[in-house]
Amino acid sequence: MEASNLATLVERCRAGDAIAWEAFVRHVQGRMFALAYSYAGDREDARDLAQEIFVRLYEARSQWPAGDEFLPWLFRVARNRSVDFLRRRSVRRPASTVDETAIAELPDPAPGAEAQAIDADRRSLLHAALRGLSAINREIVVLRDVHGLSIQQVASILGVPLGTVKSRASRARVELTERVLALSRGQGEA
Amino acid sequence: MSGITCDQVRMAVLDPGTRPGDWARHPDAAAHVRQCTSCQDWLDAFTAGAQAWVSEQGDAFAAAVIARTAGVEAVLRDLPGLAEMDPGPGFTERVLIATSSRPAPEGWRVRVTGAWRALVRRPRFAWEAAYVATVCWVLVFGNPVGAIEWSATNIGAVARQRLGPPVKELRADFETWRARLAPEPAPAQGAAAGAQAEPAPPVVRAWQAATDWLRGVASSVVEAFTLAWERLAGWFEGLAGQPPGPSTEPPADPARSHQ
Repeated sequence: MEASNLATLVERCRAGDAIAWEAFVRHVQGRMFALAYSYAGDREDARDLAQEIFVRLYEARSQWPAGDEFLPWLFRVARNRSVDFLRRRSVRRPASTVDETAIAELPDPAPGAEAQAIDADRRSLLHAALRGLSAINREIVVLRDVHGLSIQQVASILGVPLGTVKSRASRARVELTERVLALSRGQGEA
Repeated sequence: MSGITCDQVRMAVLDPGTRPGDWARHPDAAAHVRQCTSCQDWLDAFTAGAQAWVSEQGDAFAAAVIARTAGVEAVLRDLPGLAEMDPGPGFTERVLIATSSRPAPEGWRVRVTGAWRALVRRPRFAWEAAYVATVCWVLVFGNPVGAIEWSATNIGAVARQRLGPPVKELRADFETWRARLAPEPAPAQGAAAGAQAEPAPPVVRAWQAATDWLRGVASSVVEAFTLAWERLAGWFEGLAGQPPGPSTEPPADPARSHQ
């Protein structure tokens, strides 16, 4: 969906349009679930977390910012909810380990040309490598390189200086690559 | 972008005649790298390769650099593919059910009511309210010493003095109202039927009495507010400074007669 359509949906949701809300959920649920999964690392937890994010969005829909500010705000809300969720879960039970087989069997969201090029093994490797990064580096890579936000937006969402994001982004990319290579070597030897 | 190309920057970095980091002293190269994301990514990969050189001597260096350079590019190319994932069947319905059971966003009336309730529940609300009420009383009615009269010893006398006249007035109004509502005496016998006016029904008389009483109360309230407002305005004038002196305008001529 184009940005203008998203802006229209946002406006209608702010006005309390129930149909627009359903369309909005269908439109962004893939991104929200992917973001939730990058934090939760577990499919069921990610579903719960994504639902919490949507409930929070629904409760605050009269305060949604308009225009270009919406997307960064959306990610900020999702990130704050995710951090709260992880905090609660760390009290409840230890974080689950990543089941790479389960990740590899994740259904393909959009079976197109791009998705065909990225096979399940590749995605599972990337997810596993991402989980190996430190929390801040993982967030930077996810927001910047996965979801395509600008450096300024990432710095604003994470509440860290711009220079920190720049330097950490470069290091995180290299670290991620090294982990992917190490994991693929490990898989090859196995 | 500076006047140097990406290839020239990379040649400068790879130049075996220079030491690592020498290229950054060239202002054009440094400016180019600051603005060129492609060169930044390439440098990151090269740095990773240089780090590999420390740990992997000899022929492994080239392989490490190539692997890392290609690896970073490949990973960056693949990462956007993770931006969307299918949450599975039934997720949308689950979210819609969860949100439909939520109350609609609150309007300003509900928010104001909630804020008022939260304010009232505060432990020191009674003290704060009393303080604010005292300040308002002093500002509007002045005479802070008058409040001292309301002590426990002479409160009865002050109440009789202050509240006596209004109570008498209210009682008089009440009596008047009762007199109007009382049934009128029957017409004298023998009087001509046409000469006696038809008495108004009790409902109409009650309505007239009520409106008269309300009108009187309203005019009293308006007078009280006007007086309070004048006092408040006077108090503010006193705060702002001395009132203006006598007018320097010449006195107006007396009204002229046509004769």
